[in-house]
Amino acid sequence: MKFKSSYLAVAILSAVVIAFPAFLGAYPLNVARSIMTYMALAISWDMLLRSGQISFGIAGLFGLGSYASALAVLRGGMDPFVSMIFAALLAGLVAFALGFAILRLRGMYFSITTLALMEIFRIIMQNLHDFSGGPEGVVIPAVIFNGSSTALYWLCLAGLFITIGVSWYFEKSKMHLALTAIRNDETSARSSGVDIFRYLLFAFVITSMLQGMMGAIQIQSYGFTTPDTAFDANFTLLPLAMALLGGIHSTMGPMAGAVLLGIASEWLKLKIPYGHLVVYGIIIIVVILFMPQGLVGLARRLMRGSDTKGRKAGATHE
Amino acid sequence: MSKLVTTGLTKAFSGLVAVNNVSFAMEEGEILGIIGPNGAGKTTFIHLVSGILMPTSGRIEFKGKDITYAPAHVRSRLGIARTYQLIHPLENLKVIENVMIGSVFSRDKSLKEARLSAEAICAELGLERLGRDTTQLSILEIKKMEIARALANEPEVLFLDEVMAGLNSDETRQIIATVQRIARERHMAVGVVEHVMGVIRELTQRVIVLEAGELIAEGPYETVSKNPRVIEAYLGGAA
Amino acid sequence: MANKRNATIVVALITAAVVAILAWRPTVLIYGIQAAGLYASIAIPMGLILGIVHIVNLAHGEFMMVAAYATYMVCTTFGIDPFVAMIPVAAVTAAFGFVIYKLTIRQALKAPELNQLILTFGLGISLTQIANLVFTSQTRKISFDYVSASVDIGELSFGVYNFVFVLIAVLMVVGLRLFLTRTTTGKAALAVGQNPKGAAIVGIDVDKTYGLVFALATAMIGMMGAVFITRSSIFPAVGSPFTMKSFCLVAMAGIGNIPGILGASLLLGISENFLKAFRELRGWSDIVFFVLIITVILGRSIKGKKA
Repeated sequence: MKFKSSYLAVAILSAVVIAFPAFLGAYPLNVARSIMTYMALAISWDMLLRSGQISFGIAGLFGLGSYASALAVLRGGMDPFVSMIFAALLAGLVAFALGFAILRLRGMYFSITTLALMEIFRIIMQNLHDFSGGPEGVVIPAVIFNGSSTALYWLCLAGLFITIGVSWYFEKSKMHLALTAIRNDETSARSSGVDIFRYLLFAFVITSMLQGMMGAIQIQSYGFTTPDTAFDANFTLLPLAMALLGGIHSTMGPMAGAVLLGIASEWLKLKIPYGHLVVYGIIIIVVILFMPQGLVGLARRLMRGSDTKGRKAGATHE
Repeated sequence: MSKLVTTGLTKAFSGLVAVNNVSFAMEEGEILGIIGPNGAGKTTFIHLVSGILMPTSGRIEFKGKDITYAPAHVRSRLGIARTYQLIHPLENLKVIENVMIGSVFSRDKSLKEARLSAEAICAELGLERLGRDTTQLSILEIKKMEIARALANEPEVLFLDEVMAGLNSDETRQIIATVQRIARERHMAVGVVEHVMGVIRELTQRVIVLEAGELIAEGPYETVSKNPRVIEAYLGGAA
Repeated sequence: MANKRNATIVVALITAAVVAILAWRPTVLIYGIQAAGLYASIAIPMGLILGIVHIVNLAHGEFMMVAAYATYMVCTTFGIDPFVAMIPVAAVTAAFGFVIYKLTIRQALKAPELNQLILTFGLGISLTQIANLVFTSQTRKISFDYVSASVDIGELSFGVYNFVFVLIAVLMVVGLRLFLTRTTTGKAALAVGQNPKGAAIVGIDVDKTYGLVFALATAMIGMMGAVFITRSSIFPAVGSPFTMKSFCLVAMAGIGNIPGILGASLLLGISENFLKAFRELRGWSDIVFFVLIITVILGRSIKGKKA
């Protein structure tokens, strides 16, 4: 019965969220789009984190998706929708090539290399003047759906639903076992038959595709981008802070974190115009030091605390 | 054909030779004891055979197939499994999930099938309440889970690395009986590393002795335990 | 034997390359060496921390940025020269680093290795944004006459001030070698770096050693921050490229190999300046470090597979 009621809650919540445009104006919808973008990025970051690998390359792959989609339309005459699929595939391909090179060494080598990604892609786009428009960036002929805020909202929501779906699949399928085993103890995982490299590569490619997809949705929704805005470090910083605050290693956690911080960030931007991002840095530090399980983890622990009365007597404890 | 054959297996760590030119074979259905003083290279030897370490030289064959440089996960799929001396349970997975992994990734079972297999294996070992966190297990239960984990691979060759350590005599007897039954029922070749000679005497049909990485004796326990070189290696004799 | 022959071939190739560059455009070599000095001086403290405490400080560049701003404040307020301010700034940065270590990094050491990455990442962002808040993103600079010192050799004219970084880098390597092999504290630090558990068993206070090494490395970064501002303008984000390039150099040299960082820096510095010599390729010089680190990682993982 518990199983069914949570599915019902999800269905109702989804219906409400889909219906937002019916009673929200353009500004709240835009804020919602921003939150949903960060939420999707936070979830996709967490998906790889479940294997123990930390990527700092969200901004890199997100921006790559933006540029791929924009240039496919501009230089290749591609249909905007097709360009979004193309962008996701390209991001996946880049992740495959990169992952192939660096995932065998993993750990800090992987993490720091991903950190460099956004810089590298930014420099590449900046230098290829004729192809990518150089430092002034690119403008696509038309914003998708003619800029209708309802349609743009639903587009972004679709991207988010896809991300949530994939993350949920990762949790329910054998990916969950593989990634958790790799994270907890690689030697044990290996001895049980887990091909660690293959699963890490798969997770890295899939999450990069999701990030590229969101980047494509972004550029199609706004109509223009520059190297600095596409590869903005915020696209790495905020999703990290959101996932950590909400509670890593879950789908729910990053979602909760995104809603909380997303709303807070609107308020923060007004209060501290210069350097409000410091809040996110501090949140990251505080969460790692004092509540590594995030808010969801905290909630879970509180619930379990009230559960101990129901335990059988004689349960062995270490 | 022997299940597992090593020929001149050697592992050197820049200067220190941990396993030195070890050649031996394991047959189906036999329980082989692997003994030797501390630091003799027994665990390193198991690492080499299971694929956690790659040899410096030598050859490993499983059912006639060369697996000398095959990665560990490939060997698991082929049918080699082992337990670890220092057990690291996967702390973010439940007990049943810890066991299921072998079935899912070595035998390509679906989650449902793997769960059923894992439950059956745990029942055989007497491991109960499988929905618990691994932090709630007793030492005996952790050992059982570790053995279950290895059995989930459905191996043809199994290595148990000091599984009895830390168990009392009742618990040890339990595990001995279980290992004998499993080896017989599943036609496995089992290699047992142990320091308690009583266990070796009761459990094994044949014993190999390692000292400083070299194979210094081979044969039934009764013979090997009287071998002067073996006695010297243990500095004062076996039990 | 094969290794000796390989080494001779490499040396011959390098000599040939150096001669070729000298003949074609000597400034590439000169500026390359100067840049190498700068990179090495910043990378060596990271190498020290990685080699002994075994943590990556993603806020490495930001520590230098903080020191640079501190120097800027001190110099503009009191009118003294950065080289004089260097000592107090280094001391203050060291204290700052030590406090940060005690409060944050030490906790994360108990947890899995990757927590330190996120923690120091957050730290770096926080420092950058605090600098943004206090100083805004406007660049700051102090001008000094000695910075524009130059030398004329025949038709060749080039700035020589930046050789000070080469001097600093060499001093660091020599100084660290002496410290780590000749002093008791240094030898203890080496032991802790190689085997913390073993060191603890023989009675070395591992935690104190970590703190000391961290403070020492941070002092070195602090010193670099002071020297840095003599020749560059600073802004809050100035540190982050150096974090990545430092890691690249430490990875190339191999963790624990501090003198190797000099060689790696030369490769990076000269390659970057080689590209800068061509006007069309100038913008690509910042990608060099990435290509280098990917190559190194690829090479290592292939070698690892064979072993």
